[in-house]
Amino acid sequence: MIFIGLLVIMLGFVISVLSLALHSVGAQLAVVLFGLAVSLYGIMGVLNRAYLKNAIWKKG
Amino acid sequence: MRMKTTRKFLFLILLAAASLAPRSFAQAPPAAAAAPPPAAAPAPKPVPITDADLAGAPVPSADARAKGDPDGSLTGTASDITVSDAKKGVTIGDLANQVGQNKIAINFVWTLVTGFLVMFMQAGFAIVETGLCRAKNANHTMMMNFAVYGVGMLAYWLIGFAIQMGGVGATANLGGTPPLSAEFAITLFGKPFGLFGQNGLFLMHKGTYDVSVMVLFLFQMVFMDTALTIVTGSAAERWKYAAFVVSSFLMGAFTYPIFANWAWGGGWLANLGANFNLGKGYCDFAGSGVVHAVGGITALAVSMIIGPRIGKYDRTGKPNAILGHDIVLVLLGCFILAFGWFGFNPGSTLGASGNGALRIGSVAVNTMLAGMAGGFGAMLYMWTRYGKPDASMSGNGLLAGLVAITAPSGFVNPVGSVIIGLIAGVLVCLSVEFVDRVLKVDDPVGAISVHGTNGLWGVISIGLFADGKSNYGGSWNGVTGSVTGIFYGDNGGQLVAQLIGVVTLVGFVFTLSFIFNLLVDWFVGQRVSAKAELEGLDLPEMGALGYPEFELKS
Repeated sequence: MIFIGLLVIMLGFVISVLSLALHSVGAQLAVVLFGLAVSLYGIMGVLNRAYLKNAIWKKG
Repeated sequence: MRMKTTRKFLFLILLAAASLAPRSFAQAPPAAAAAPPPAAAPAPKPVPITDADLAGAPVPSADARAKGDPDGSLTGTASDITVSDAKKGVTIGDLANQVGQNKIAINFVWTLVTGFLVMFMQAGFAIVETGLCRAKNANHTMMMNFAVYGVGMLAYWLIGFAIQMGGVGATANLGGTPPLSAEFAITLFGKPFGLFGQNGLFLMHKGTYDVSVMVLFLFQMVFMDTALTIVTGSAAERWKYAAFVVSSFLMGAFTYPIFANWAWGGGWLANLGANFNLGKGYCDFAGSGVVHAVGGITALAVSMIIGPRIGKYDRTGKPNAILGHDIVLVLLGCFILAFGWFGFNPGSTLGASGNGALRIGSVAVNTMLAGMAGGFGAMLYMWTRYGKPDASMSGNGLLAGLVAITAPSGFVNPVGSVIIGLIAGVLVCLSVEFVDRVLKVDDPVGAISVHGTNGLWGVISIGLFADGKSNYGGSWNGVTGSVTGIFYGDNGGQLVAQLIGVVTLVGFVFTLSFIFNLLVDWFVGQRVSAKAELEGLDLPEMGALGYPEFELKS
């Protein structure tokens, strides 16, 4: 899950860089915001969730 | 009788004063009442100065100077100008060279002194973090803050500075820095994408043993160290000291310099304006993104890997408050940081003389306004929500305001600064609650929220509040004009450039930091043993207690 989380986070970054191929500022803004959402989901929804599964307070 | 005479005398004096007063005012009438100036008097034609004119410049005699100069009128005259040929005396060429050297000297002194102020921020970070931790970890927390200065500096000197600034090209305010001229770039979408600099290893490589490069190195080095010391706060009270050393070295050598190159070293983010017509490219005047967000995001990555402190969450995952041991240290540290920030932001002009450098006054005032607005916003939020004006969160609010204004300080006006600071003050409180309760990431000092969340907010705020009035030599990042946000008429291109910077921080920098620290976890181990953590890290990790003469409760 950690590896998948890192891939999702990087995917958001790649999406935002790809927005540079567009010419409309509005479209670029939408794509960059989508990329940001993907990266944030990767951190909070995938990676952090994977760590919380084995959180220290659940062990003791 | 005598009393009566005295009163009469006083009355006469007052009468005389009253009769004289209008006359004395009349001697200095307001400018509007003055006789109108002669209509369009022809401007005198400029008279070329010759070497002969300079030869006749009055200089104090040796005898006069030998008597001393108590009022300073004989010191700093034409006799102090360095001449290239003593036989010719002062020439126009000598004069021009002296003017040029004076400009660069002013900028050197300004950049160095502001760099020294930023260096002193390390003391502020050290006592803020130590005060927010428990007394049993005081030595460990202080020592991390102390050591990060040297560890980071060595990494940056070896390779970090070359990666960051090795291809920056001309830094006009510091005399050019011509040896820093090799940027490695790839081509993407038909445009060059600068990725890292190549000159400046050990400050000796390819002509970088240079006075301008040295000044630039000192200033950039203390910025880098600020980013590194952010992480020590969020990972405090459970970070293995050896892991901290390796992690900090990697951050100073690679993570920080790579993003700093993209933003400040002539890399692809800075050129989004020139290459893709997105405003003036990614703008970050003093480092909300480059310094604070990089530090805050790395802090998030390390804190996730390392896990929360024992006792921070109960078995249901409900957070418990673990109080710091010295609020006096915390607030004193906040004041030291606020003082150091006057080096951080105004110093980022890299000069007090030259194109747009007089904006230092505006930058300093913006810094002051946003910082206190942040402290005020956080205090009001906590007071309203919890019934008391929480001291540590008020301090964090001050820091959040300062973090948020760091990127826009050179591009916004005072009203924008106060709005940015107020939002930052509330945002840091909301973010601390979110990180603590939703993400369940333990951050003893709130570094992720202060530096990460508000660093990103500062970067975004440029795309909104930049007022288009700043002018640093007529262009920024190689694009003509002033940085302007959408509230002041921009079409949104600047905001897109800023958001691409934000996604780069959240997506790329986080991933790089996470991978580095995962490797450290595998090879060194990031976390101390449970026994050491419960006992306090001072003895197991450092071999000495921070407060040996006090009995501590664990």
